[in-house]
Amino acid sequence: MSIGEDEASSSRTSPKSPHISWSDSYTKAHEAIKSLSPIVSSIPPALSSSETPASCLLNNQDIATQISTLLRHPDSGSGDNRLCRWLYDTFQTNEPDLHLVVLRFLPILAGVYLSRAALHKPLAGFECVLLALYAHETASRKGQALTVSIPDLSHPSVYHESKQNPKNSATELNIAIISPSLEPYGTVRSTRRARIVGVALEFYYTKITQIPIRSKIEFCEFCKIWAGQHGDSYKNYDDHDGEIQEQGKKQGRILLPWELLQPILRIVGHCLMGPSNDEELFETACGACRSLYERALHEINPKAILATESLFKLAKITRNSRDIDHTEIEHTKVIAI
Amino acid sequence: MSEEAEFEGSQFDDDPSIWQISANGVSMQTTDVEVKIDEGNIQEAESALREGLSLNFEEARALLGKLEYQRGNLESALRVFDGIDLQAAIQRMQPSLTEKQLSKKGRARSESNRAVSQHAASLILEAVYLKAKSLQKLGKLTEAAHECKNVLDAVEKIFYKGITDVSVDCKLQEIVSQAVELLPELFKQAGSYVEAMSAYRRALLSHWNLENDCCARIQKDFAVFLLYSGVEVAPPSLAVQVDGSYVPRNNLEEAILLLMILIRKAFLGKSHWDPSVFEHLTFALSICSQTCVLGKQLEEVMPGILTRSDRWKALALCYSQAGDEKNALNMLRKSLHQHEDPNDVMSLLLAAKICSGDSFLAAEGVSYARRAITNAQGSSVHLKGIALRMLGLCLGKQAKIASSDSERSHLQSEALKSLDSARALEPENSNLIFDIAFQYAEHRNLNAALRYAKQYIDATGGSILRGWRLLALVLSAQQHYSEAEIVIDAALDETAKWNQGSLLRMKAKLRISQSRYTDAIETYRYLLALVQAQKKSYGPGRKVIQKENDKVNEYEVWHDLANLYTSLSHWEDAEICLNKAKALVGYSEVTLHTEGIILERRGKHAEALTAYVNSIFMEPTYVPTKISLGSLLGKGGTKMLPVARNLLSDALRLDPTSRMAWFQLGLVHRDDGRLSDAADCFQAASMLEESDPVESFSSIH
Repeated sequence: MSIGEDEASSSRTSPKSPHISWSDSYTKAHEAIKSLSPIVSSIPPALSSSETPASCLLNNQDIATQISTLLRHPDSGSGDNRLCRWLYDTFQTNEPDLHLVVLRFLPILAGVYLSRAALHKPLAGFECVLLALYAHETASRKGQALTVSIPDLSHPSVYHESKQNPKNSATELNIAIISPSLEPYGTVRSTRRARIVGVALEFYYTKITQIPIRSKIEFCEFCKIWAGQHGDSYKNYDDHDGEIQEQGKKQGRILLPWELLQPILRIVGHCLMGPSNDEELFETACGACRSLYERALHEINPKAILATESLFKLAKITRNSRDIDHTEIEHTKVIAI
Repeated sequence: MSEEAEFEGSQFDDDPSIWQISANGVSMQTTDVEVKIDEGNIQEAESALREGLSLNFEEARALLGKLEYQRGNLESALRVFDGIDLQAAIQRMQPSLTEKQLSKKGRARSESNRAVSQHAASLILEAVYLKAKSLQKLGKLTEAAHECKNVLDAVEKIFYKGITDVSVDCKLQEIVSQAVELLPELFKQAGSYVEAMSAYRRALLSHWNLENDCCARIQKDFAVFLLYSGVEVAPPSLAVQVDGSYVPRNNLEEAILLLMILIRKAFLGKSHWDPSVFEHLTFALSICSQTCVLGKQLEEVMPGILTRSDRWKALALCYSQAGDEKNALNMLRKSLHQHEDPNDVMSLLLAAKICSGDSFLAAEGVSYARRAITNAQGSSVHLKGIALRMLGLCLGKQAKIASSDSERSHLQSEALKSLDSARALEPENSNLIFDIAFQYAEHRNLNAALRYAKQYIDATGGSILRGWRLLALVLSAQQHYSEAEIVIDAALDETAKWNQGSLLRMKAKLRISQSRYTDAIETYRYLLALVQAQKKSYGPGRKVIQKENDKVNEYEVWHDLANLYTSLSHWEDAEICLNKAKALVGYSEVTLHTEGIILERRGKHAEALTAYVNSIFMEPTYVPTKISLGSLLGKGGTKMLPVARNLLSDALRLDPTSRMAWFQLGLVHRDDGRLSDAADCFQAASMLEESDPVESFSSIH
């Protein structure tokens, strides 16, 4: 299976005038729902009659459960799989709202895909969707690498002054590559598999504030499977009792090269320390973090150890911290002017 | 309303269950007022206060609202506050235009007014602030944010020059600080992330005269928000930038900047040390792979903040990631000292891993790995397999420099035993399959190596380049060159263009081994075209940024070509290629060695000798030069034979699997009349020839 160059380039969002775009996205979302109906067992009525079909499709738990079950089916992911086709077509509508719908299922799709990649199962359907996401990200970045120039406090900034003369300290800033430049790919070559999924996850991260919590929880659950570590070793260290996972169940462990691990860690970081205050998400992310920490130790990979350990410690600090609300006024029995 | 008079006649001070309100020197119990307000008669309660304490309407409302807020009656507090016309109050307090102009000349007059207006201001602003707090607690976050923003807008209007220490009293300052801190939090809770972002920037970039700890809290919250929220908003505008200053271009840069500033502040004693700040910075910098910067931050950490063994461990991780294994190992040696933290499994494993990369450290690594096995208990029990793996790797490396054959084979079989028991504990760890395949290959147990190499490719789905390369090398060692080439072609199929360099190079070498020189040259030509395309696509500046991992190395291609042309006796071509290689790296032991070979093959022995000697000076442990020099000297008559023998033995000590060294040593023995020694050497050489890969196995690592 391959995606032609023209398809890859057409995924660049073409400018549309606003009033057309609204009705357009409305119809496209309804079309997507309509084409989904023969694939799933039932479309919830709330969905087919919705005024905001795209956001309904994104947030409806019933339909999400049905799609997730189908994606986890042992035969999902083949080239002629209708659901994969639907995800691909839905993504290719180029409606940002519908992009979110596809991204919402990325954790399960990538999770099932990566765990099956070495098992000689047909995966062309999954790869089709992943390549579409990859192509979209490649186009929107124009193939450029994402870089960060690491600050150096000897240069003054908006937030601080520097006593040193910037002329004397003409030190070069360290430039870090967050994500290397992107080449267009028409097929998934096995050595590029991790990179393609990693870039899809980078795309997921850029939209993460709009993704439903459930999808993030699913992602964190897959992290545990991928890590192949149950993460219980550091549970007591963590002073927290949770459900104890089945020991020795390590199916689905995958290779975690940095190009895949880095976006995974950013997403887990968001789930742990991000602005949503969802208890279940936090707990699942803690579990994912513990598993990834164990895995990093197994690989003796210094930067993965540093990153996962710091997240792990932060989760502990967050859990144990008594929040003092500094914005609360002082309580006194005497109210005075 | 003098402050001293406030508590006069407050005889209820000692009773904690009764609320009191005091103003204008009078104090009253609020029991009656509370009854009225509980009945819903806000106006009656208000007038009771006004009469009892001689207050005006706004003051009474503000106090009443605060009372209700403190009593936890939030809805009622909101109703009370709703009666205050904030806009009017603010307008009254704003300095008029004439006053603004006057303020420079008539200082004294405005001073006298200030106390009055500040008092009124803090009363009203506190009322609005409490309104926001009430709304927040009732879950009406967007409205709360709106009210809180009103407080800040009002402050900016009233104090149009910004707040300084002398310009406001502490009561007002407290409200301002709290509102500044609350606003972004409210937006964040309301899910208005873009507004939260600008509220944070407003808090940090305007002059609110915040105290250090408050400012540090906001900076940390903002950094955390930037780092984890996933919201990407335009960086602070260029308008507020100073020339030559650092301008963060995205969230990550801004977050790292703020975290670094926070750490610096804590070191200078300007704010409390918050351990989570350092963890956030660790996360951010490791995500960027900038552990060298993190290392610098750790080096600057003040004593008493981290325990020294924790700091050494963290530094070791940073250095090791940054490629400075020597310093990393030094840190670990400190932290693993018996008086520090000698049983830390992570440190032991890292130390063993570093040692496994260097034959001369391997023995030290073996002892770390053994300690790790002993200490892999309790919460570290899951690391036992890894400890065994490290033991296997270190033993395998140690075998490389074993002084005797028996010691070598002992170490090698120990290494394999250790890897096998690691495998039993870690059946899903594909790295172990590779390690075992590699050990067998180094052993020249090629059938076993082949089996494991295939298994590794299966387990990894062919996604790891080194698996393909190992398989091809093992096949080439078995003299199955065309099969090896098929493997390389399969691998090329699974690899993107820019990562094909090492594969293509191996392919060319496989073709040379089959005496298909023209085909080999064709492959090299393709490689060079790839190099050109790569240069073009990355541009000159980008090369510095992009790590050249699996990329084509132009120098190696030219060098290979020089060797190839030398073996074909195309001297001119060989020299051209060699010069190209030299232009890229300057003089190195490798280019000097090749230069020597060309000279020697052309019969210029004295010049060849010079080149070889120079090469040895550049790198005394470079085996190919030792062999060439040994063989050249061996031809120089019986006087030179002992020197040649020394050089060749030395080469064999460094690389016991060098077929050429054995062969040359055999020649030396023969010329020296030791025929049985010579026969042994020739036998070794011929055995090795049957198992010689086109590149050394260790080139895979």
